[in-house]
Amino acid sequence: MLEILRALLFSTLDAAPALVFAALGAVLSERAGVVSVGMEGMMRVGAFCAAVAALKMPLPLAVAVGMLAGAALAAVHGFLSIRWRSDQVVSGIALNLVALAGGSFLLESLYGPNGTPAIEGATRWNIPGLQSVPVLSALSGHSAPTYLALVLPFVLQGLLARTPLGLRLRAVGDKPHAVATLGLSVAGLRWGAVLGGGLMAGLGGAVLSTCVLGRFEQHTPAGLGFIALAAMVFGRWTPVGAFLAALFFTFGDALRIGLASSAPGLLDVVPQGMLQALPYVLTLALLTLQGQRGNAPAALGVPYEQESR
Amino acid sequence: MHERLRQALPSVLSVLLALAVCWALIAVTMAPGTATDAYLQMLWGGIGNWPGWLDGSAATTITRPLGEAAMKAALLTLTGLSVAVAFKVGLFNIGAQGQMILGALAAAIVGAHLSLPAVLHVPTALLAAALAGGAWAGLAALLKLYRGVHEVISTIMLNWVALRLVDNWLVIGPLRGVAEGGQSITGTAEIQPTAVLPRLLGDLSRLNLGFPLALLLAVALWLWLSRTRSGFETRAVGLGAEAARTAGVPVARRTGVAMALAGAMAGLAGAVLVLGTEGRYPGTLGAPYGFDGIAIALIGNNHPLGAMLAALFFGVLRAGGTRMQMLHVHPTFPELIQGLALLFVAGRQVWLALLRRRESSAPAVTSSTASTAQVPRA
Repeated sequence: MLEILRALLFSTLDAAPALVFAALGAVLSERAGVVSVGMEGMMRVGAFCAAVAALKMPLPLAVAVGMLAGAALAAVHGFLSIRWRSDQVVSGIALNLVALAGGSFLLESLYGPNGTPAIEGATRWNIPGLQSVPVLSALSGHSAPTYLALVLPFVLQGLLARTPLGLRLRAVGDKPHAVATLGLSVAGLRWGAVLGGGLMAGLGGAVLSTCVLGRFEQHTPAGLGFIALAAMVFGRWTPVGAFLAALFFTFGDALRIGLASSAPGLLDVVPQGMLQALPYVLTLALLTLQGQRGNAPAALGVPYEQESR
Repeated sequence: MHERLRQALPSVLSVLLALAVCWALIAVTMAPGTATDAYLQMLWGGIGNWPGWLDGSAATTITRPLGEAAMKAALLTLTGLSVAVAFKVGLFNIGAQGQMILGALAAAIVGAHLSLPAVLHVPTALLAAALAGGAWAGLAALLKLYRGVHEVISTIMLNWVALRLVDNWLVIGPLRGVAEGGQSITGTAEIQPTAVLPRLLGDLSRLNLGFPLALLLAVALWLWLSRTRSGFETRAVGLGAEAARTAGVPVARRTGVAMALAGAMAGLAGAVLVLGTEGRYPGTLGAPYGFDGIAIALIGNNHPLGAMLAALFFGVLRAGGTRMQMLHVHPTFPELIQGLALLFVAGRQVWLALLRRRESSAPAVTSSTASTAQVPRA
């Protein structure tokens, strides 16, 4: 029993970073008032560019390339939604479509339809002393992204809750006019948050293709960007909340895969598809209970116009 | 400049720019000549190979491509209308894909398991699909109205729920079809001949009743929105729910009805796919027509007839896109053109600013105030 729990925990921690980073990116962007429906597309370009780069250069550099690619797409989002006050959802959806079609096109013209060649993943680190502890030994033997994913949510939470910059970022998502009154740049803060969100979505995608999947495939990230949105909502727009939600979703996935392989009889009682639908149903249920937008920033999705006070 | 024209101009320019960018993309990665040839192939694949026909080929060199384009256009029109109608009442329906999945499933079930004469069978299957899609969208409307759940999030979630439940459970489990000889097949059982949408040109092409149906619905929706009281009230809610409420418009009812209509349109798209071409719910619905609908609606400026025109145009490109493969150009190119066009349409304000500048620099024309984005805030 303990061994099973350890295995589940281990595979959860192995797969979680991609979703955690994307969810954190979404929190960052939306906290500053800019809707991040484009997560899926940013993850996709991040995953693709990192995978292509990883075949030619050291892994950390390739991941950085993926992050920059995510930020580049985020910059388009920022240009349209901040500079030109376009509808943020439309811009995000457009980016998703472009990333989907463009990714397929580039993948096929570079490597053919079956995806990139396999990528050698990151080195795994063992934490000395943990090996012998039951269950907790699952914490050992992961690659750097996992450990970063365990730390970053708390750093971001601290940043948003405790620092002047964090306060300003949150204020710009709630009451941009008040921020402007203080002589601060609404556009500047939002640009920072959107680009930061793009970097993190790119990181999530890069980790997904290089470390988790070990390659970029036709359908990467297969909706993970949208699950990141769900995790953000589930976590009530807080970094730690989104982190826990992302872990929960990944755990559910690990559980499903584990069940499918170890107890096939159970799947006759509870069909696979039903289990797969569960995170989405849960998100809907939670939103229904929460009512009225939960904890969403007040000015979320509202383009800032200087003249209107 | 005529106001209607000015409204449509950013969309037209966006499509042209997208076409130009993608041409350049092929030209750079392959050769300029290849790019031009590929576009020509796409055109012949979409509107028929007229030069070939004039040189004496069979009539099917024209009717087949036109039929394929019409099929694609019918689906794009219906999902585009779905998104556009929701827009009119101020909701962003990202859930057309999920609604389409349920509509397709309903049509497949009614088509396969009911025995009716053809006169009744097709309408019953269409109705079932519309109801299923409408109910799925109605769920999002209810959550919005009574619990304040934002429809962008709820429809995204409902998409995934529909996809997982239908594709990963129902059609491979309880509803899995059995072919002749007892072999189990992917997807649901074959629909009965009475439920098949009649082909309009017989064996000349796959053009079926779905195409005129989609065009008819586009016109009907336009008439409803522009000529009836309830349509007017629906638009009023979209322009400002509070103001509409003050004016005595039943906001909740208009929202619910518009969203249900949106779902019905997407559901019908599923039915047209299943009853018109697939013959059953396949293993997976495949192409994300529901998401295409978002692009179609926005490029069509959220106007039912605009969406129809955009759908016709992209139907031609999508049908012709496969022919690009002969020149080793990737078949998803039309989707890339569509995505880029949407991206440029999202930059509507940029176009309007550019157009304004041009106009004010011209001496005789006084610059009028260009209207702002047509998209209700999501």
